Amino acid sequence: MTLVIILLWSLFPIYWALNVSFSTLSGADSAPAHYVPSPLVGTSYRAVFGVDGAGNGISGQLGRSLLNSVIESGGAMIVTVVIAIFAAYAFARLQFRFKRVIFGSVLATMLLPAYATLIPLYRIMASLSLVNTYLAVILVYVSGFLPLSIWILYNYFNTIPRELEEAAFVDGATPVGALLRIMIPVAMPGIAAAAIIAFLMGWAQFLFPLILTTDLSTQPVTVIVAALDQQRVVPFTLLMACGVIAAAVPGVLALVLNRYIIQGVTAGSIK
Amino acid sequence: MTAVAARPARRGRMFGGALPYILLSPLVVFIGALSFVPTVDTTVEAFFRVSPLNPPTQFTGLGNFRALFASSAVTGAWVNTAVYVVIGVTLSVVLGTVIALALRQRFRFRGIVLALVILPWALPAVVESVIWSWIYDPTFGVMNSALHSAHLIGGYHVWLGLDRWLTIGLIEIVQVWQITPLSAIVILAALQSVPLDLYEAARVDGAGAVQAFWRISLPMIRPALAVCTVEALILSLNIFDQVYILNGIAPLGSSVMLQTYLTTFQNLNFGGGYALSLLMTVATAVLSMAALALLYRRPEAALWRWRYEASGRRRRSARSRPGRSAGRWRAGPSGCSGGW
Repeated sequence: MTLVIILLWSLFPIYWALNVSFSTLSGADSAPAHYVPSPLVGTSYRAVFGVDGAGNGISGQLGRSLLNSVIESGGAMIVTVVIAIFAAYAFARLQFRFKRVIFGSVLATMLLPAYATLIPLYRIMASLSLVNTYLAVILVYVSGFLPLSIWILYNYFNTIPRELEEAAFVDGATPVGALLRIMIPVAMPGIAAAAIIAFLMGWAQFLFPLILTTDLSTQPVTVIVAALDQQRVVPFTLLMACGVIAAAVPGVLALVLNRYIIQGVTAGSIK
Repeated sequence: MTAVAARPARRGRMFGGALPYILLSPLVVFIGALSFVPTVDTTVEAFFRVSPLNPPTQFTGLGNFRALFASSAVTGAWVNTAVYVVIGVTLSVVLGTVIALALRQRFRFRGIVLALVILPWALPAVVESVIWSWIYDPTFGVMNSALHSAHLIGGYHVWLGLDRWLTIGLIEIVQVWQITPLSAIVILAALQSVPLDLYEAARVDGAGAVQAFWRISLPMIRPALAVCTVEALILSLNIFDQVYILNGIAPLGSSVMLQTYLTTFQNLNFGGGYALSLLMTVATAVLSMAALALLYRRPEAALWRWRYEASGRRRRSARSRPGRSAGRWRAGPSGCSGGW
């Protein structure tokens, strides 16, 4: 019973979005509300994808913004994970001066709210003429996602027995060789966890792209969905279809890769 | 042993000791240029008048702060944010604990249930807010329809934008819906690391399920609860997406983050935005530290006390089996530090 309530609480809003998106406007507008679409139609999706030539240009906006989201969150994910692998390896395995200070300050930025950096980051990007470029968005994302990625990978590297590397050193491997040929392959689950979490965080961003992007050439799907919502001219069945499409990518990823997400989130939270 | 001794020498020879710094340089550049420099910039510029429309930048001391607190929209947003935080932290930690307790036992399809429970955390807050805005909608919304069908309300209500505290509560529920899965997962992981023989020993001592929760589970998951509290605290102090979609720019349910955005990027009063940012950064740091200091406690201390009381009770109890349970208790508290 508890379980049913928990699932209802977790899933009902998502189900409701699907329900509305597959309804006709009059079917969704009825009182009392229909809990299943009646009739069940795909007109909203056809309009959103521009199949009937309908949708008033929404298909173009949505398609382009989805592409932007993929580039921005995908780009940020790749850069974050590569930098985090090198840094986490140094923190987990190498001895050097100021290690604790550097590690502590990097992790401390996890507690830094977006407030602390919002305006300066905008001004930095403006002064470099990078506003409304993929590069600005990706750079800002990477600076925000790095601490958590490093924390996840640092913990994962620490679970790998040192004997694995020792064997490679005996065979004449360099530390870089050991990292590339031993640590990275063995740490793949941890790297996957860091990558998927970085991608999901990138996909969900709204405030930073709201100020860093100004037109459809770089605006991610969250900004477009918010704009469509604010205009209040798009029928809400159509808006729900847009929302479902925008949520589909992270939703499917989370369902399929939830094992890595749980592992990453708990590594990054406990202790 | 020899390999351990040989390693630093080998690495030193190959890279002259520079390898760690080479590996760290991209990180240091990113965090330095895009986290530390901006934070310092915010701290300094909060005391200057900064306006792109009206240069040059001038020192104003506390002028920005005074101007901000003369605005009722800003002071109102601080009160609102405090309410967002209280509701968000309380609900997400309590609900997270309840969900974690319900999912602790193994059962069929537990993996699938877990995956479904995480879903709200993975979706963009903007999309979730749009969905909830149509759930709350006065004419099309399912909330009115469901409550009306259940005869809990006489007619359809306008939920958002009329009553300040109702609006804030309903908006915060959307955020709680998103962040609770994170708390649930973290608390669940902590619960699963509690050695089972602690519960066994408590059962032998005659403790019921409720007592076992208060005396064993709660002290053991305390670090996890502290982490969840701080995470919920930071997220609710920063609430923006949900407010932007569900409240718009109206002062009624506005948050400090929304006011920072409006002050800076709509009114182009950068100095004012910096001042708000600095205040909120300091508030975030102080509140996070306070929450950690209050809540974070290693589980051992509480368990030792419980063991002490339990052993006292055991001596008086005729039902107990002293030899066996005493041995278990001795193993308990030292054994649990390995779980952390």
